[in-house]
Amino acid sequence: MGASRFEFRDVWEYITSNQDYLIRLMIQHAHLVFFAIVLGVVIGITLGFLSAYYKPVAAVVLPFAQIMMTVPSIALIGILLPFVGLGFNNGLVALTLYSLLPIIRNTYTGLNEISPSILEAARGMGLSERRILWRIKLPLVLPVVFAGIRTAIVMIVGIGAIASYVGAGGLGDLIFRGIARMRPVMILTGAIFISIIAIFLDIIMGWIERKLIARQT
Amino acid sequence: MIRFENVTKIFSRGTIPAVSNLNIEIPEGTICCMVGPSGCGKTTSMKMVNRLHSITEGKIYIDEVDNSTIDPISLRLDIGYVIQEIGLFPHMTIADNVATVLVEKKWPKQEIGKRVDELLELMGLEPKIYRQRRPSHLSGGQRQRVGVARAMAANPPIMLMDEPFGAVDHIARVRLQNEFLTLQEKISKTIIFVTHDIDEAIKMGDMIAVMREGKLVQYSTPEDLLSTPADEFVANLVGGNRSIKRLHLIRVSEILNRKVATVNMSDTLEAAKKHVIENAFNVVYVVSDTGVLNGFIGKVELKQEGEFVKDVYRSYPEIISDEATLSDALSVMLSNGESYVPVVDDFEHPLGAVSLEDVFKAVRQDD
Amino acid sequence: MTDSGVNINSAVISAEESVSPTRRFFIGIQKSGPVLVPLLSLAAMIVLIIYMVNNPGGAIEARILNYGNVLRMFREHITLVLVGSGAAILTSVPLGILITRPAMRRYTPLIDNPVNVAQTVPGLAILALFLTIFGLGFRTAIFALWLYSLLPILRNTSSGIQGIEPGIIEAARGMGMRPWRILIRIELPLALPIIMAGIKTATVVLVGSAALSTFIGAGGLGELIVTGIDLMRPTLIYTGAILSALLAILLDNLLGSLERYLRER
Repeated sequence: MGASRFEFRDVWEYITSNQDYLIRLMIQHAHLVFFAIVLGVVIGITLGFLSAYYKPVAAVVLPFAQIMMTVPSIALIGILLPFVGLGFNNGLVALTLYSLLPIIRNTYTGLNEISPSILEAARGMGLSERRILWRIKLPLVLPVVFAGIRTAIVMIVGIGAIASYVGAGGLGDLIFRGIARMRPVMILTGAIFISIIAIFLDIIMGWIERKLIARQT
Repeated sequence: MIRFENVTKIFSRGTIPAVSNLNIEIPEGTICCMVGPSGCGKTTSMKMVNRLHSITEGKIYIDEVDNSTIDPISLRLDIGYVIQEIGLFPHMTIADNVATVLVEKKWPKQEIGKRVDELLELMGLEPKIYRQRRPSHLSGGQRQRVGVARAMAANPPIMLMDEPFGAVDHIARVRLQNEFLTLQEKISKTIIFVTHDIDEAIKMGDMIAVMREGKLVQYSTPEDLLSTPADEFVANLVGGNRSIKRLHLIRVSEILNRKVATVNMSDTLEAAKKHVIENAFNVVYVVSDTGVLNGFIGKVELKQEGEFVKDVYRSYPEIISDEATLSDALSVMLSNGESYVPVVDDFEHPLGAVSLEDVFKAVRQDD
Repeated sequence: MTDSGVNINSAVISAEESVSPTRRFFIGIQKSGPVLVPLLSLAAMIVLIIYMVNNPGGAIEARILNYGNVLRMFREHITLVLVGSGAAILTSVPLGILITRPAMRRYTPLIDNPVNVAQTVPGLAILALFLTIFGLGFRTAIFALWLYSLLPILRNTSSGIQGIEPGIIEAARGMGMRPWRILIRIELPLALPIIMAGIKTATVVLVGSAALSTFIGAGGLGELIVTGIDLMRPTLIYTGAILSALLAILLDNLLGSLERYLRER
């Protein structure tokens, strides 16, 4: 393609004349990220709690989740191909898997970092393990888990763009189609949109996270 | 009443028992201090009462009921529990912390609110100010108070306290100790009080259980512990200065027999002068209209310019309550730089004074 | 990816209490980790390459899976990672030191905040942005990867130095050490484990980002994966995926034990 000459006015023009397409891509992207993070949160928090409560689970889950993270995203998406095929499902599984580690790890370390004296006091006062879970552990670990969810969301917004390559839709389409058609304006639009969404989500989630922490201290 | 009967605790098989064959009876309404070096089994013994630790052998009876037959959760809900680290829940307000057990016991919301305020007031924490605060905004001493209030919430007949005043500095600790003793006179709980500090044990305990390597070495009143230590270990623990230790045992109220006259703020200096001359320490107390001790007038103040008491009186840096020990009285005398210390009641109304001489006499008599 | 993406080693195991066989197994791995895991990964990579080249499983696969081709892509991948992160270390460590000098301290947030924001920009977006500016090719990829791994290292360098207890610096100054000596003898050694953690994170993330470089024509193991996806040949995907994953694990472990060594020292 070579260094192409264009102006930012072209990008603006592209955005305004392709609004519907862009909105559709954004909705696809949001759809994918949303369902993946919901799954990731449910599975991740469950595994995090199981790991904190049962050492053998931790010994399996934590190293596994960590190795997961070292697998390059395009590689994971490729590996999943024979199992879940092309399209939305592939993206969903890949994004869910990537969202797990930050959530599991933060849940696990958050639970482990609750001061033993707090738990001893709760136990000594007659709270059952189940009540301790609901009244003490969950509220205490919430901001830490939320920080993990924040990391996960920002990360999978980016990986969602890569999943576009296997037909999961979303803003990555702009980049890959732009490369294929040699249209720098499309590539740039895609890159800018994805970046802005990731930054925006990070800021919003960071704000909520600070609120959660402030509420507790 | 709490009774340990041949209680033994072995943590893992083949190791030395953490507690071996412990027999203690703690009468209703008394404080039993368990004291000894770390690892002596005192905390372990305490934690077997509310079944935070299981009992390997033997039984613990609470009001003649074997505690292993009571469901641990309901057992613990009826036993107050205070630990050194306090363990306040950082995500809850002070009110919610204090209310923890009440919520577990499903008290009605209104009654919980009322009880929480009552407890905060009892512990000297103005409910309006502290109810909605978080633990992180409190000082160490205030946290300890909340910890005690939380343990007393459901008015449990028994309290377990593991170094409850261990996390604060000396001055705050002395105050908390005195306050708690005053409180105990009103509430008469049966209390196991674990400490490694023999002075604290002597001051707080009705009975003292000295433990060493899981075994009970001596179980007696503080007086007996000081006068007839069971063996060299106890003697060393109690230390050489037993007369000084005895200062912890005697309350100011026990030896208080000196009256000091009082004058009002609006009285003339002439009226005060008469009292100053007659008084053994050459002072007269100055009280407010409500009878609160505001300060004093001595010979130095009399020489100053002024017509009325309020023009020249001076306030005391420190005063003590009649619940304080002679040891407290002595240290206030040193810090005030006087050979006597003013004694007041709970409302800071003057009760009289204790002099250095009184303290000497009390310790000598005891010998 | 953001900072907390890739380091969990520390949280997994603390050897205490009674040790169950499973735990002992993992502690064993942890202890022999510095040698065992990288060696195993290396061996696995070699075996995988030999096996795949000899058993491509089809005519199309065979055309792509030959030693010359696979080793080229492997070499390209390593070059992308090492040159990218090497350049990032050389630029961001001095930059991190510079922005933490007393004279610069009040400008630190001016650099830190944009860096934190930039770090949330996805790798693919960075590659794409650079593609539109510099065009296709290896150099564009290197440049993008350099910028991408610059951020975590810069941040760890600056927070590592800023995290040093002020008392330590003051003590050093009180003893008459010059600022330059304080930097060399106190600040850098104390911040080194944290800088190293940043380098590790950056490098492991880079292995993944480098796999995307194929989209802008820079080759690497991503080429194998993407070709596999395009042609629907699982063998190619697996070969590329496993090789790059093993490379990431290898670097993660090597740099991780280097970090641990620096921390313990």
